[in-house]
Amino acid sequence: METVSFILFSFLGALVMVGSIGTVWSRNPVTSALFLVLNFFALGGIYLLLEAQFIAVVQVIVYAGAIMVLFLFTIMLLNLDDEQALKEKFDLQKGFGILLGGVLLVEVLYILGLKINLPQKSTTLTPVEIGEAKNIGRELITNFLFPFEIVSILLLLAVVGAIVLAKKNFSPNT
Amino acid sequence: MPNNLPEIIEQVKLSLGAFVPEISLSALFLLVITLDMVLNEKRVVIPMVSLVGFVITGFFTWQQLDMPNQEYFLRMHVVDPFAVFFKFLFLGAGALAVLITMDSEELGEKNVANIGEYYAVLIAMVLGMFLMASASDMLMMFLALELVSISSYILTGYLKHQIKSSEASLKYIIYGAVSSGLMVYGMSLIYGLTGQTNIYEIAKFISANEVDEVTLTLAALLVMGGFGYKIGAVPFHFWSPDVYEGAPTPVTAFLSVGSKAAGFAMLIRFFKVAIPAEPTGELAFDWVNFFALIALVSMLLGNFAAIWQSNVKRMLAYSSIAHAGYLLLGVLVADDLGTQAVMFYLAAYTVMTVGAFYVVILIANKIGSDDVNDYRGLGKRMPLTAAALTVFLVSLTGLPPTVGFIGKYMIFTALLGKGTVFLTLAIIGVLTSAVSLYYYFKIPLNMYLRESEDGAETPMESSAFANALAAFLMILTIGFGLFFTPLANFAKNSVIMLVMN
Repeated sequence: METVSFILFSFLGALVMVGSIGTVWSRNPVTSALFLVLNFFALGGIYLLLEAQFIAVVQVIVYAGAIMVLFLFTIMLLNLDDEQALKEKFDLQKGFGILLGGVLLVEVLYILGLKINLPQKSTTLTPVEIGEAKNIGRELITNFLFPFEIVSILLLLAVVGAIVLAKKNFSPNT
Repeated sequence: MPNNLPEIIEQVKLSLGAFVPEISLSALFLLVITLDMVLNEKRVVIPMVSLVGFVITGFFTWQQLDMPNQEYFLRMHVVDPFAVFFKFLFLGAGALAVLITMDSEELGEKNVANIGEYYAVLIAMVLGMFLMASASDMLMMFLALELVSISSYILTGYLKHQIKSSEASLKYIIYGAVSSGLMVYGMSLIYGLTGQTNIYEIAKFISANEVDEVTLTLAALLVMGGFGYKIGAVPFHFWSPDVYEGAPTPVTAFLSVGSKAAGFAMLIRFFKVAIPAEPTGELAFDWVNFFALIALVSMLLGNFAAIWQSNVKRMLAYSSIAHAGYLLLGVLVADDLGTQAVMFYLAAYTVMTVGAFYVVILIANKIGSDDVNDYRGLGKRMPLTAAALTVFLVSLTGLPPTVGFIGKYMIFTALLGKGTVFLTLAIIGVLTSAVSLYYYFKIPLNMYLRESEDGAETPMESSAFANALAAFLMILTIGFGLFFTPLANFAKNSVIMLVMN
């Protein structure tokens, strides 16, 4: 069992990496977006290995499904096939990006090397049960009721904002 | 956290009583959206409804003054004098923003067909600020910050037909998304280190256990990225000149006072509570020196970059970066005196900055420009407006007898007697204030001592209402400068923050 999950993890991890490198590397925006889909799917698989079924499903539905469709739609709408148009010229920007990425990488490696003893949360549920939609839903409307309600206001605001900014005939002069 | 259902229901019921101001604001938000859909004539009714709503919310907030300091909603939301002070500040800034919007040609009938949603989004932003001041859990901090950020993006891009406004909004979104991302990453590291999201529990864990200092420092730096973006301090300031210039001026005024104050409220609570000084006097993460550096760079860059600006809104943007530096000086002292000074200064800053932007609006209504070179000869043509602007600029510089002077005085005195580093910072603060005199006074210089190019001298006074509001803000600026004791006492009594129990 251990070996099976290790092999699966290695495989999915490699896919995640191929996906993210491909996203940055490929010149064609559509290919880039498709690599990102690969990345999202592989990440969903890793969530499954961690026994978080709900997050895995949400990952696939929301990111790989809805958001990526939106991405591809926008790319095709803007007709960004021309690779020259997207070429970056700012070397300073690139250098800064590499620096920042390097710092984050070192940081992650450093943190991975730490031994952290976390206090165990008192729960009677097994890891598999925690990942169930039913239990996540119960947490949302009990312990996390307040943030849940605030999110509803946040979403309403976002909807209002999207309509305001997308509405036509906004100005009587134009 | 309690696990059984009846206990949770009991707690939520109890918490609702401490949430009345926010409920009132949410109701107002929904009411304004509804009114916007059913009314035909919105230009007067909706601002009036918003103002009445703010007054009612103010009444509920006032009732919170006597409430016990406590955490509510399963330890997500705090009510204490510190939060209540900031809530009053946000309501005042919000009400002023509504008032100055009513007079703005930029957002007037000619340019914007539908203004109803503008007020709705503004109210949502005030609600987000309320939550920022009260958040005691990293999850709530993030959500409240996003509520404020998203409303800011919408308001900044409200003038859709103007490329500048849309550009500012887009830049704001990109910078905002990056800083929120950094902040959430930092928060996730803190959660990973301590296993807690509640700031009081984090503090408890850090003082009781060994945590890795390098990781904690990195996490705190990343969190600071999110806060620094809200308060507009260097090096997270890149968005502010463009956004201040491109946004409709009433929005700029509200962003520069409201957003900044909310950022400071959250920053002070987070760093004072979650990463407190240990009994030995050592900080788990030495944020004092880090803040000293940010404050120093902000004061220098803000004041010196402002010298070269000829657009008044841009100049005020750089000046607001410098003010973030002064305010950070008060935070890094990390005692009650410093916090009190910050709170006083934020209140003072609200009055004088909204005043300055309001006058910029009035002038732009008449001459259609924000450029300082077009202000020539305005001293004769708009005497009251020009006088008011001069008073606000004197106050922003920090000269007596204005409220800005008292604010700066309080911050600098809080730094005295704490050591050479603090003394040096105070001296640099005073010196950079002297630099700010140079660029602030370019405006009165143009208004009073230079003739306009076409030699026009016809008076162009604004409406009686506009004059009254400008005069009112001017009187507040001088009045609080002379009789500052009530405001200072209010700030002093409001320093009380719920600390670790």
